[in-house]
Amino acid sequence: MKKVATPDYTVADKLKTHVAALSTAAKEVVLPLNITTHYPRERKRQPECFRGFMLFDPERCISCFQCSFVCPANAVWMKEAPSGRYYPTVDHGKCIYCHFCVDTCLGGALKTTKIHDIAFRTMDEMVVMTEDMVEPPEIIREDVVYVDYVIDREDLSLKRTKGKDELIVEIAPSEGVPMVSQCIDRESCIACKVCTKVCESGAVSSVKDEEKLIVKMEIDAEKCTGCGLCVKECSMQILRLVRRE
Amino acid sequence: MIDVSGLVSTILNNQVNIPLLYVIYEFLLKIPVIGSIVTFLLSIIPLFDVPIIRLLIGFLLWKPMWVLLIIPGFATLGTMLLILPWLERKLVGRMQWRVGPREIAPRTRGSIQLLADSLRFLCQEVIIHKDAHRLYFLQFPFLYFLPVLLPLLFINAGAVGRPLVPIETPYALQIMVGLISLMPVFIMGVGWSSNNRFAFIGTVREAFMYFAYEIPFIIVILAMIVLFKTSNTVGVVNAQGTYWGIVLNPLAALVFFIAAVMATARLPFEIPEADQELSFGPFIEYSGIAFGLAYVMAYEKMYVLSAIMTMLFLGGGSGPVIPYLGDLSYGIWFVIKTLIILLVMVNLRGVYPRYRLDQALNVGWGAILIFAIVALLWSVVLGVVL
Repeated sequence: MKKVATPDYTVADKLKTHVAALSTAAKEVVLPLNITTHYPRERKRQPECFRGFMLFDPERCISCFQCSFVCPANAVWMKEAPSGRYYPTVDHGKCIYCHFCVDTCLGGALKTTKIHDIAFRTMDEMVVMTEDMVEPPEIIREDVVYVDYVIDREDLSLKRTKGKDELIVEIAPSEGVPMVSQCIDRESCIACKVCTKVCESGAVSSVKDEEKLIVKMEIDAEKCTGCGLCVKECSMQILRLVRRE
Repeated sequence: MIDVSGLVSTILNNQVNIPLLYVIYEFLLKIPVIGSIVTFLLSIIPLFDVPIIRLLIGFLLWKPMWVLLIIPGFATLGTMLLILPWLERKLVGRMQWRVGPREIAPRTRGSIQLLADSLRFLCQEVIIHKDAHRLYFLQFPFLYFLPVLLPLLFINAGAVGRPLVPIETPYALQIMVGLISLMPVFIMGVGWSSNNRFAFIGTVREAFMYFAYEIPFIIVILAMIVLFKTSNTVGVVNAQGTYWGIVLNPLAALVFFIAAVMATARLPFEIPEADQELSFGPFIEYSGIAFGLAYVMAYEKMYVLSAIMTMLFLGGGSGPVIPYLGDLSYGIWFVIKTLIILLVMVNLRGVYPRYRLDQALNVGWGAILIFAIVALLWSVVLGVVL
């Protein structure tokens, strides 16, 4: 075992360190390197990809439940709307702002914003319902200046610009990876027709096989949007989403 | 029978000479309404052939009263108490890349923060817990003011040949050392009467520190007495006509400064108060105005010690004479020098972490004591032999 010994400082070394410490302090008094942002009068300008409060566009939602499935904190729950469709709600008490739900959303219905200063009065209010996610929450903006952090060669400095930073990020709707639903085991299909009921674009239809006197389902690849609803609902688990060629 | 007219002539013959006041007086006479008011006030002569307003102003401008009340006395002390904590927090904030107090009066950069704090202390309830020794618990913070404020009576803010001192006595330095040595006794009383474990720990630490700094402190004062061959504060300043005390005996100045930092429990030696573990040590049980007193007392003690250091090592109020200010210019130089020492003392907290108790005792009984004895020997060589 090696024992770490205390370094043996001479008086000259000690004096040198004292002088260095005092001169650093004097230098900082004259020319301080200040990196404080005076929130709320100033706001740090966050990058476009900032993971803040999520907004929701019901027009784009296909109720595929992917956001709810992927959530690692189990914060996204689907609630039934009066129209019979299911929309996500976010429990901000659980949410870890990983934004897997935003990344995984097939229709691009969930959208990130730069809003990080949201407050709730009670624990119950922290479960944000779908209707409260359509419009951005009300914020009292006191900021007149936004601040950028500039990294020089070795130091960090602030660049202040007059004006308000736009908190709602305008992102072009994601095209997504083009997917299509495919049956991998037609022999096992029991023709329960759940996929037909669940499909919104009418891509699944039943085909009668006259020779064997059975009914099999068929997916029209042209009409299929690749939402994956049929994959989720298939009672025999024989449907898969594959990349469209 | 008191000789009143004799007293009046004593007061009026020993006035502070500030030519600026005469200029202001002449200017006031020229303003239409205010001029007639001034002449009317000057015409009220009830007795002693002196206008009553002249008597009142003359009492304030009477040299001992002026020094005690205005510069460097209570008015300056009060101003210092208001601005020094703010300056400390601002400067330490700059050192540590922070901003410091800002939200109260942001246009003045939070300069009235201490006023707001003291308002809060005034309005807060003073809680005396049931285990405390009620009588001593309440009286010690107030009694503590005596040894802290009485040294102001002997501080000479003047320059060579122009003394500005309330009481001139050949034993001034000895009396000041005696009063300063009395301060920790009251702190110990405060800690004992609080009857709290943290207060006890703080008190014991204070006692340890007391012995560590007091002996070098007294030896250094002795060294300066030997060097100047007088313990009269007027003589001390007069002896620094050509060279300041810090040039004659720099080691003594260093030891005095470190002892002052130890005495006021500032940050490298913030052992008795130790915010992080003892949370203000002996004063932990105090709240409201009593806590405000305890908070302010540390700064008062620091002011008194810095004033003594200015007097002993920086030539008192000597400096280039500012025209039209007369005696006031000495006071201004004195306050500027004191403020510089105070700022250095206060801003050490931005540089150094806290010493452990045994390390501080090691410093006090080791290096500082040896330096003090060397300084004394150097003073003997310089003052007596040469």
